Amino acid sequence: MTRESRKRLFWVCFVCSLVVVGLIPVFTQSEYLLRLASLVILWIGMAGCWNITSGYTGYIDFGPVVYFGIGSYATAIAMAKYGSPFFPAVALSGIVAAVISAPIGLTTLRLRGAYFAIATFAFAETMRQVALEFDRTLGVSFFEGSHGITLPMPDHENTFFFYCIFVVTVAVVLVHYSIEHSKFGFGLKAIHEAEDAAEIAGVNTTGIKLRAYVTSAFFLGMLGGIEAYWITYITPADVFSVHRTVQMVIMTLLGGMGTFLGPVVGASFLTIVSEILGTTFVEYYLIMVGAIIICIILIMPKGIIGTIKDWKGLRFI
Amino acid sequence: MGVLDVRELTKHFGALTAVEMVSFSLEEGEILGMIGPNGAGKTTIFNMMIGVYPVTSGKVIFGGRDITGMKPHRICRLGLTKTSQIMEPFPAMTVFENVLVAALHGGQMNMADSRKKTEEVIDFVGLSAESEMPAAAVSVPSRRRLELARVLASGAKVLLLDENMAGLNPHEIDEALDLLRKIRASGKSLIVVEHIMRAVMGISDRIIVLNYGAKIAEGSPEEVANNDEVIEAYLGKRAVSL
Amino acid sequence: MDTIFLQAVINGLLLGGVYAAYSAGFSLIFGVMGVVNLAHGELIMLGAFTSYWMFQIWHMDPYLTAPFSAAFLFVFGYFIQRYIINRVIELPHIMSYILTFGIHLIVANVAVKLWTHDFRTITTSYSGANAALMGLNIPYARLATFFLALFVIALLWFFLARTETGRAIRATAMDKEVARLMGVDIRKIYAITFGLGAGVTGLAGAAISPFVIIFPEMGLEYTIVAFCVVVLGGMGYMPGALWGGFILGVAQSMAATYLSAGISVATTFLILFFMLVFRPTGIVGKGSVA
Repeated sequence: MTRESRKRLFWVCFVCSLVVVGLIPVFTQSEYLLRLASLVILWIGMAGCWNITSGYTGYIDFGPVVYFGIGSYATAIAMAKYGSPFFPAVALSGIVAAVISAPIGLTTLRLRGAYFAIATFAFAETMRQVALEFDRTLGVSFFEGSHGITLPMPDHENTFFFYCIFVVTVAVVLVHYSIEHSKFGFGLKAIHEAEDAAEIAGVNTTGIKLRAYVTSAFFLGMLGGIEAYWITYITPADVFSVHRTVQMVIMTLLGGMGTFLGPVVGASFLTIVSEILGTTFVEYYLIMVGAIIICIILIMPKGIIGTIKDWKGLRFI
Repeated sequence: MGVLDVRELTKHFGALTAVEMVSFSLEEGEILGMIGPNGAGKTTIFNMMIGVYPVTSGKVIFGGRDITGMKPHRICRLGLTKTSQIMEPFPAMTVFENVLVAALHGGQMNMADSRKKTEEVIDFVGLSAESEMPAAAVSVPSRRRLELARVLASGAKVLLLDENMAGLNPHEIDEALDLLRKIRASGKSLIVVEHIMRAVMGISDRIIVLNYGAKIAEGSPEEVANNDEVIEAYLGKRAVSL
Repeated sequence: MDTIFLQAVINGLLLGGVYAAYSAGFSLIFGVMGVVNLAHGELIMLGAFTSYWMFQIWHMDPYLTAPFSAAFLFVFGYFIQRYIINRVIELPHIMSYILTFGIHLIVANVAVKLWTHDFRTITTSYSGANAALMGLNIPYARLATFFLALFVIALLWFFLARTETGRAIRATAMDKEVARLMGVDIRKIYAITFGLGAGVTGLAGAAISPFVIIFPEMGLEYTIVAFCVVVLGGMGYMPGALWGGFILGVAQSMAATYLSAGISVATTFLILFFMLVFRPTGIVGKGSVA
């Protein structure tokens, strides 16, 4: 196949799957299925955000949840305290997350390996603690500490939230597409392969890493904002939960790090499996997730997509 | 004043002086050889020139512009970059993609132009057959060529080659020398660090010799080869008296 | 200096000793293998539970159970490394982070199945007893644990410096390829190292069992503190665990005394964050970078 025909095939597949997924709310009457579908695409979006920074560059971010949490709080505070409408609040969430991520990225991205992982983790935990303790320490009423914030009740159906999440996730997937085919993307991959050599070859490594980091933060912030309004009640323990980070990491790893379809496959698989295991084997659910993780790492460390790629020699996906 | 001027470059690593007050300049279209025993400071000088190491003191003037203290990618975009002694390809990417990264980022070109440039460069260095192979899978001579291709694709005007012929057999060295002459003919200037005397003596217009971080000689290959201090640095004192 | 300040410093130092005790193993494992062990807290949890059950069933004093906790966790750690982590040790380090996270999930949740979510404590004759000295309170149990921590770190240091196996471990940490060429069985050394790290951690778990709340999900919090301690002291630099423990302990105790108890955790992470960004080799600058 030539590059052009591969490109055409890609767009045909892409648009078809968009249409199919986008029509789910039209075809199903079941609120349960709709909720599950929304959840799946939410996780695709979140895992995708992690993949943009960590999957492509190999800088393992252990605190991406912080931007999700910041986004949740930005929307919650804007709507509950300042009476902002939903859409401007979500846009604000993305912007706030991106603005905060810039200086944080600039400082942490100088670190490598475990140090970057731990620094990002520390930052996420710090923000969780700040959200928890800010009000009590300063005697104000802003983050509401462990009580959490209740948002105005949405007068929208689940379909509305489905499409909101859908739009952001599609944007994240499009960023992935551009990474696969752009100057920016080749820069990211070169950083992953050999960062010093990339810098010598003219790649502005700091700039490119930062751009990836801020992009992830922006979309995570928006997803956080949407979810906050969707579930109408947020607490620091929930929106800054380490387990969300872990989910993003594992989903991407399962699907294949630094691949276009990795987060899509990994997030769909793990969300659906969790749903099944979580309802049938409530008691053993976390043990099974642990076992699944260990099996993936031992059996196919490159993830589903990475393994297929190696096996088939496919470079397209 | 040449295309590149190095003025009193000095580098301390803690108490160790790796390079001390080294100055030289490079003329347009020249091939300058840089030789010296292991640990003489050749790689350190390269790394200071392209901004990988901060300089302790001294200046690097490139194209009339002071580039001391700039980041490597900025210096690369201005047209000065090196090939690495320990080859550092992007192993999982194809040869083509390796070169493409340099064309896109170092050369600051758009995707279509970069692809065209990449094809030209790969053809120029003779890697067309291996273009779609992962860089980790190609042979050592090809990887040496790949390093050159990356530098060329980044649009370098001055190429710093750090032992680009290490590990090659005599036949491959001849091919590599031909390639370097071709590169020079296309209007580039080169500084060549090399341990293989036949190669460096054969190709250089001028040679500078380093020992313990200081420049001890400079001149044509013949002058340098007959310089007592140089012989002493390489072979020890007794060889001179013999 | 007033009593409140002194008391805060003493509390901090005692707390720091405890931190150091359970972080030394983490530092050893990272220093030798580059594995960030996210199941570290579970090792502490298992150590504490070993003491708990020995105390419940045989009424053994928790400090006397420490060798048993250590032995049990040495074996546990040895096999985890030998049969699981060794299989990914040549892959990028991220694999080991995630693998150990999987182990964390399994161990913690199997423990929940076995022992429920209940909070447990060990009540001994000296629980809550203090030595009162010039208006300062020093809890006996914490003091004992403090000295045990110093002893354990000294022992670990001695083992690494003076024994044949210790030398092999240090050689492997410096350059595993060269060590391999010198005839060191890397995989076995890794298994022993992990066993040793786990054993020391189990011992620490036993040592803190008289004054902490023991429950299956206690681990993650301890993992996080061990992270901080080891980064502060310098990753892979063994006495650094002591420095890191003291600094963190005193900082938290100060924050709790003069600000609020809640903010002390945030303080921890802020210190950790700035430490990583500005001085990743640790407070004495002897840790490894990247």
